[in-house]
Amino acid sequence: MRVLIIEDDELIGDGLQAGLSALGFACDWLRDGKQGLAGIGAAPYDAVVLDLGLPGMDGLAVLAAWRRSGRSEPVLLLTARDAVDDRIRGLDSGADDYLVKPFALGEVAARLRALVRRRSGHSTPLLQHCRVSFDPAARRATLDGAAVELSARELALLELLLGNKGRVLRREQIEEKLYDWAHEVESNAIEVYVHHLRKKLGSDFIKTRRGIGYTLGDEA
Amino acid sequence: MSYSLRGTLIRSLLKVVTPLWLVACALLAFHAWHEVNELYEEQQTLFARQLYGTLPTLGARNEPQLPQVGDSDHQAVAAWNRGGQLLLVDSDGLQLDARPGYTGFASLRQHDEDWRVYYLSGEAGSVAVAQEMSERWEMIGGLLLTQGLLWLLLLPFALLALWWAVGRGLAPLAHIRDQLQQRAPDDATPLPREVPSELHTLIDAMNDLIERMAQTLQRERRFTADAAHELRSPLAAMRVQAEVAQLVQDPLQRERALQQLMSGVDRSSHLLAQLLALSRVEAEQQQHEALDWPLLLQELGEAVPGLAASHHVTLRLPPAGHTQWPLQHGDRTLLLLMLRNLLDNAIRYGGGTVSLEADATRICVSDEGEGVAEALLDKVRERFYRPPGQQQTGSGLGLSIVERIAALHGLQLSLHNRNGGGLQAVLTRGHGG
Repeated sequence: MRVLIIEDDELIGDGLQAGLSALGFACDWLRDGKQGLAGIGAAPYDAVVLDLGLPGMDGLAVLAAWRRSGRSEPVLLLTARDAVDDRIRGLDSGADDYLVKPFALGEVAARLRALVRRRSGHSTPLLQHCRVSFDPAARRATLDGAAVELSARELALLELLLGNKGRVLRREQIEEKLYDWAHEVESNAIEVYVHHLRKKLGSDFIKTRRGIGYTLGDEA
Repeated sequence: MSYSLRGTLIRSLLKVVTPLWLVACALLAFHAWHEVNELYEEQQTLFARQLYGTLPTLGARNEPQLPQVGDSDHQAVAAWNRGGQLLLVDSDGLQLDARPGYTGFASLRQHDEDWRVYYLSGEAGSVAVAQEMSERWEMIGGLLLTQGLLWLLLLPFALLALWWAVGRGLAPLAHIRDQLQQRAPDDATPLPREVPSELHTLIDAMNDLIERMAQTLQRERRFTADAAHELRSPLAAMRVQAEVAQLVQDPLQRERALQQLMSGVDRSSHLLAQLLALSRVEAEQQQHEALDWPLLLQELGEAVPGLAASHHVTLRLPPAGHTQWPLQHGDRTLLLLMLRNLLDNAIRYGGGTVSLEADATRICVSDEGEGVAEALLDKVRERFYRPPGQQQTGSGLGLSIVERIAALHGLQLSLHNRNGGGLQAVLTRGHGG
């Protein structure tokens, strides 16, 4: 799940990036409102964490501009102001949720997951396919109820595939969702992860569509 | 000292009116006395003339004494012929001396009474018409008595009216008292001026005070809100970094998160220190002492170079014995805080060579950094404002503190971008300061 963080505070931005990365998100971090305005188009972001008080351009203005130009990415506002008016204005400007500083990292992650879940039409937090189920919050995958050891990238790929059931994902799409700017994509990395997942979850769990990409195998 | 307005008014009224009334009575008595004398003496003269006209007919009578009328009629008459022989006399007239040839008034005393006598003398003889003075005194006395009774009758009514008028005049104060009792401390609505005009200055002064207090309260509230708001960010940063430290497996990442956490703690302590400094500057009574600049400079020289070194900044302070400063008196602790903040700013956000210069008219701190965008030169002085893209930690309060301390010492802060690059902060003596 790829997330754009727009936050001017060095320590908060750094912490969000490090923390959300550790929680399985691919995160990009921008420090300026104007950069953020354009930055949302740079990658297929699943959600945005947006600080309200930004240099260059105010967070609300950035949000309003996105919504005017048809951007519909779920936006989680971060605000240091806990005045009700600010929250109302934020939500009315097109935000999907907000958190007041200081917040818990776990809550940011949970709200981001909820935003993405809601957007993709899921209501249960658990993602399932055939004998495999995945808990995005706990970053835990099970096969027939038994835990399966997966690396962070493998989990991310599994999450992506489970969230796009019935769709074929191109390799570049997968790369963009799994890697942030800070991490170089190794060539054929995706093939390697697909190979690992098949080994651990069953060879027909992922199907390859030659020349197009990958999709989940048929339900048994 | 507490006193009653009514009591004071009544006492003042009595003090002023009583002597005035006494003087009025004296004038009245004097005037009435004059008038009464004139009136009575005219009567006497007239009567004497009539009596004199009857002198030729009196000579034939052998009984000169007139019958007694009543006990005493306060009148006396006597008539004499040319030879001094008594022609006519009443009981009181017996005592009158004949004064042949005399015309005019005379005063005399008989039977313990003062009399006024008019003599009229001529060819036919002479007459005397006398009147007791007590008659006149009684008349004056009656007049004064009437006057006094009137005064005594009217006085209670006057005092009652005064009592009532004062109560009525002060009634709006009760209304204002009720308003003040129900008023919220930050309510800035002015008190109504619907009071006697004599109280307008009081109401105006109170309204002024209410306005100022509301402003102070509002300022304090905004400051507290701002401060709380500003503290949220470092708190959020520390919390996030602490969580990251818990979360990550990699020891290097954990170490980094802990270091970030530490810098968050440092940032919060700096912010708190600055907040405290600002609130102290706002609230505290400043000292006014003779300044030992060489000592101050020495303390500055002990405090600042560490920061300068860690930021790779060359620091140039005035020579140790420098005595040319725009101020000779002031609060040394506050001035030290002011100079430290200016130097801190120059070191953190400027760079290159940071120098502090002073002469008899100004203090000047300059750096060789990038300066501040012209459009932001005013904004950076605002509380909590930090220019965008700032890598250095800071509270955004430094210049507010500097400005406040400068103002307390009659100095004005101005910021300029230097031609050669860098920012220059200049403190000059304010006009009239």
